[in-house]
Amino acid sequence: MVAQMIESWNLVIGIEIHAQVNSKSKLFSPSPTDFGSKPNSQVSLIDAAMPGMLPVINKFCIEQAVKSGIGLNAKINKKSIFDRKNYFYQDLPQGYQISQFKDPIVGEGFVEIETENGQKKIGVERLHLEQDAGKSLHDQDPNFTFVDLNRSGIALMEIVSKPDMSSPEEAVEYVRKVRSILRYLGTCDGNMEQGSLRADVNVSVNKPGNELGTRCEIKNLNSFKFIHAAIVYEAKRQIKLIEQGESVNQETRLFNTQSGETRSMRSKEDAHDYRYFPDPDLLPLTLDDDWIKVLQDSIPELPDQIKKRFINEYSLSSYDANIIVSDKATSEYFEDVVKNRNPKLVTTWVTGELFSILNKKNLIIEDSPITSKQLGELVDNIENGKISNRQAKEVLEEMCESGKGALEIIDEKGLSQISDENEIESLVDIVLNSNPENVKKYKNGKDKLFGFFVGEAMKLSKGKANPKIVNDLIKKKLSQ
Amino acid sequence: MEFDKKSLLKLGKLARISISDDKLNNLSQDLNSILEFVDQLKEIRTDQVDPTSNSLNQKLEVRDDKVENKNSTEDVLENAPEKEMNFFVVPKVIE
Repeated sequence: MVAQMIESWNLVIGIEIHAQVNSKSKLFSPSPTDFGSKPNSQVSLIDAAMPGMLPVINKFCIEQAVKSGIGLNAKINKKSIFDRKNYFYQDLPQGYQISQFKDPIVGEGFVEIETENGQKKIGVERLHLEQDAGKSLHDQDPNFTFVDLNRSGIALMEIVSKPDMSSPEEAVEYVRKVRSILRYLGTCDGNMEQGSLRADVNVSVNKPGNELGTRCEIKNLNSFKFIHAAIVYEAKRQIKLIEQGESVNQETRLFNTQSGETRSMRSKEDAHDYRYFPDPDLLPLTLDDDWIKVLQDSIPELPDQIKKRFINEYSLSSYDANIIVSDKATSEYFEDVVKNRNPKLVTTWVTGELFSILNKKNLIIEDSPITSKQLGELVDNIENGKISNRQAKEVLEEMCESGKGALEIIDEKGLSQISDENEIESLVDIVLNSNPENVKKYKNGKDKLFGFFVGEAMKLSKGKANPKIVNDLIKKKLSQ
Repeated sequence: MEFDKKSLLKLGKLARISISDDKLNNLSQDLNSILEFVDQLKEIRTDQVDPTSNSLNQKLEVRDDKVENKNSTEDVLENAPEKEMNFFVVPKVIE
């Protein structure tokens, strides 16, 4: 759809992801990092940049950056340097952000994403550690800004991609994939609503064969939907400008989540001059081989590997495997249920019925009202023919409401499916014997009546008869 | 390196400090004399020395990921000229 609107134009997209390190304390101070606390209740004198305070780096944050780098198939730099990025803003009490400029902790890597045309490698330029800023509230007072420094100094990993994406869909897939990898690694919780993961998107357009267009950067997008919408809007805006004979200005833009438009925030002329220089308070960060090895050994199985394994071990389709492994909790849940069970049936029940319940209730799988063990029990009862698929849906809903187990509900409701052939045969006999006219018509070629017989037999069994056995028996009897 | 008035005004703008015309001359002279002083470092021959970002043979100190929250909100806000509802209150600057 988008492709049509911007046909004959190339889109070039690069993304910076800011991922909050999953640490208890901040990057250079021991203050807590909890979300949603009382304003300025998690601020040390270091975070407030009181004179004389010195930063001491959090070892855990270094380790998470290295692990993330390994997860992004990237080069780990054994020596990296912290720089001061100088700019004035009221929520940056130091007057500079401690970041890494020329020598980041992680160098080039890549991630693989699924696209319409198969797999695509997206290059990662670098990953570096830096401090988050505080939070400014502009809407509390007409003349003043309120500043909360709780977030000030929290550790972020900035992950910079190469400009390798060429559609909004690819951009979203890339962010999804990076988020998923970080969540598997446990280095970032990936909570976009709380701002633990946000993206700055660089967009430019050009005609195939021509040189790259001027890019604009859209700041601080915190949902997949917004990333997609902002890129679509921005690409169309730039194309329109060029087609009208105007040119695109290099600038930083903001996305308005209400209107779906981007607006200029600052132009190239007003761009910051960050005057980077090495932070004299911090020595270079060096990583020795042993330390890197320990971290390497702690890397869990990552989504790409798990996907391959699911396809091999459980014969899942690439499509289903993708859905299941995209989220760590989902793949763990799936694997809990699938053990010693029919993978196809389990896939259907996890990605179909369970997902639809979770969607309806707006829950994540971690908060699923049905545990993996409970779903397993339900699947067992489908597999051994005790209940039909249709009945199982009813049972699942009831499980969800009451918290009771599948078997308990099946017994309570008397749902148990009749699979006993003799019992079903007697039902079928009753149906056929009481409808001699229809039997005759059927035998004379009125095939459609088959459904009628099945329906009658099911009705007679109060819906409990195993439909497959009913079908088979009626077919057998009518062909006699 | 010389600090002309243009660079000084740019620096002032980046730091959100307004510099009045009558102070421009003195200030740029002051800054230039500081720069001249620091420029003496250029006299040292460093072509035989590896570039380094510090002159000490020390390693970066690290700490464990342990939470300490010693400073109360009151401590942190104590020196703030304006505060309200536990926020710092500052002149409005919107980016």
